[in-house]
Amino acid sequence: MLEFCLHVLIMSAIFGIAAVSLNLQAGTSGLLNFGQIALFGIGAYAVAILTRAGLPWPAALPAGMAAAALGGFAIGRLGRDLAAEYWALATLAVAELVRLVALNEDWLTGGPQGIGGIGGLFPGLDGMARALATLALAALLLLGTALVARRLGETQFGRVLRLMRENPDLATALGHDIVTCKVKVLAIGGAMAGLAGGLYTLYLAFIGPDQLLPFETFLIWTMVVLGGLGNVAGAVVGALLVTTLYAGIPFLKDVVALPSDLTGSLRVFAIGSIVLAVLMLKPQGLVPERLRRHHAQRP
Amino acid sequence: MARMNGPTRGPTHGPAKGMTGRITRRSAGVALLGAAALAMLGSGAARAQDTVTLGAVLPLSGASATIGEDQRRGIELAVEKVNADGGVLGRKLAVAVEDSGGRAQSAIDAARKLVSVSKTPVVIGEYSSGNTIPVGQYLQREGIVHINPGSSSPAIKTIGDRSFSTIGLDDVAGKFTAQAVYGMGHRKAVFLAPNNAYGQGVYAETKAAFEALGGQIVANLLFTEGQSNYRRELQRIAAAKPDVIIYSGYGQEAATINREAFELGLSKTPWFGIYLSMCTADSRPETVEGQMGMEVNYVGPDGAWYRDAYKKKFGKEFATTFSGYTYDAVMMAAAAINKAGSAEPARIREALAALGDYAGATGPIAFDAQGQRKTQPYIVVSYKGGELKTAAK
Repeated sequence: MLEFCLHVLIMSAIFGIAAVSLNLQAGTSGLLNFGQIALFGIGAYAVAILTRAGLPWPAALPAGMAAAALGGFAIGRLGRDLAAEYWALATLAVAELVRLVALNEDWLTGGPQGIGGIGGLFPGLDGMARALATLALAALLLLGTALVARRLGETQFGRVLRLMRENPDLATALGHDIVTCKVKVLAIGGAMAGLAGGLYTLYLAFIGPDQLLPFETFLIWTMVVLGGLGNVAGAVVGALLVTTLYAGIPFLKDVVALPSDLTGSLRVFAIGSIVLAVLMLKPQGLVPERLRRHHAQRP
Repeated sequence: MARMNGPTRGPTHGPAKGMTGRITRRSAGVALLGAAALAMLGSGAARAQDTVTLGAVLPLSGASATIGEDQRRGIELAVEKVNADGGVLGRKLAVAVEDSGGRAQSAIDAARKLVSVSKTPVVIGEYSSGNTIPVGQYLQREGIVHINPGSSSPAIKTIGDRSFSTIGLDDVAGKFTAQAVYGMGHRKAVFLAPNNAYGQGVYAETKAAFEALGGQIVANLLFTEGQSNYRRELQRIAAAKPDVIIYSGYGQEAATINREAFELGLSKTPWFGIYLSMCTADSRPETVEGQMGMEVNYVGPDGAWYRDAYKKKFGKEFATTFSGYTYDAVMMAAAAINKAGSAEPARIREALAALGDYAGATGPIAFDAQGQRKTQPYIVVSYKGGELKTAAK
């Protein structure tokens, strides 16, 4: 049982990193990235390919982050002339593109079978010690990511990002170069998502194209929206909540003793209704963004 | 449990009237997490000591839910049978069934739950190769016995020595399909299948065998799953003017393809479905009338009793061909546990590998050196008047 709880916490921390990244892009900067899983996937595949080639993971992980940052940079450049809604659609297409490359380039990505048997984290330890070490690493990296994201939000750059979100024309009129801001924030968000993807691969010792389906992007979106768009802590809370729900709801049927043919429907129903309930009761998310008073209101 | 209750109850009931929104907000989150945690703990305590529990990860929701439900029925029948015959090691047998939602991440989570919470020595699953492979690899690492009752990708072989299959893999299926299609006099075929581990595998095997016989695959359309329509693929098929369309698709997706093919008038060309019951499970009957196909047999030559047992229990004919394979998986695992005299994974693995010829509901099962089913009785079937009929030879 404890082991399973550790697993849920590790997955929460990993998805927490991905959610903090998306929150920086969508929450702080207003960039509706519907291709978040592509950045996650680039990091995941880069780490898988490099560790398979014999690189130790402490070296592969930064390389995966760099690859995903490059991916973020490219997505930002790609849409520089597009209006926000059109750019959002383009990101969805880019994510599918990345998945299709992963699916079809067998020589590099293992094709539909994916890449398995990856060395993984802490091969020297076993059982509980390994899970604890992995959790410590993931939590530390989540903390680091969250601190970077939070610090970034407090800088002048962060203020420009929020202005870009609220009123891009005003930001341009004030002399800020929107395209540069966009590209920068996507590269930073990309590195974070790549870190999450790399950790995911190392932890599960497997990555395949099925893990890059658009559904996964929307799962990360659910985390950010439930937690509270625009708030770093919200993204972390959202990731913990959604991951726990997905992993925890199957336990309900063990307690309530439902017939097992209802198992599948129960999960879909329970997750749907909880998400709906939170959004109706807390439209701003569980931990809404708090703007500093003199930013939010006139005295 | 009491220990967990404390902190959960505190913030939930603590705030008095008139507290700020912030506390209430936090309490909502804590309450949700607390409920999930309680549910987790409860299930651990409910586990009885006089039961041997095996695990299963099945697609009970998602695109393959019809098949997952049929797989679950096979398990239910097997558990009843084993317990009626005295159980295993003098104890009752149970199978904890978890839903994968047809999604790799959820399938892995479900397998982890079975291994670390329910402590099952054997896990049966899944259905799609893309989920079966990571689940199998995880079980292999944990030293747990894996039995694949539904995936046919040849890549299953590479999982490892803890992994067994009660269903034949596609290298055998592709050859059978090619011979059947060629035998019907078709020479010019197009191939339509999902672009995933299963589709790519079965395409490669069928193409090799069909071309070795002298046939030709003039177009290969491996489609992206989850599209809202497949007209682009179907129009390319129409343009190729084939003798026969060899295809395969999972329930709901095949239903979309069949409906659109029907609307485009393409259903006049002969269709040959690989695992036809999977292709027609969710399709409207008029759109698939007259389709031919290959099938793993529902039951083996001596398996009529299984069809009767299924009908008696669930009041209908088989929904798909896949229930027999989970039935056999449970029965073989139970036999191995009894033979080993132990429910230790390592002992069960040895006993399974040494089980020899097993007379299953789906025919005789024997494992090769890689733990895969050696021979698989396939049949040619046709869809007539709402059900599958064995084609006359």
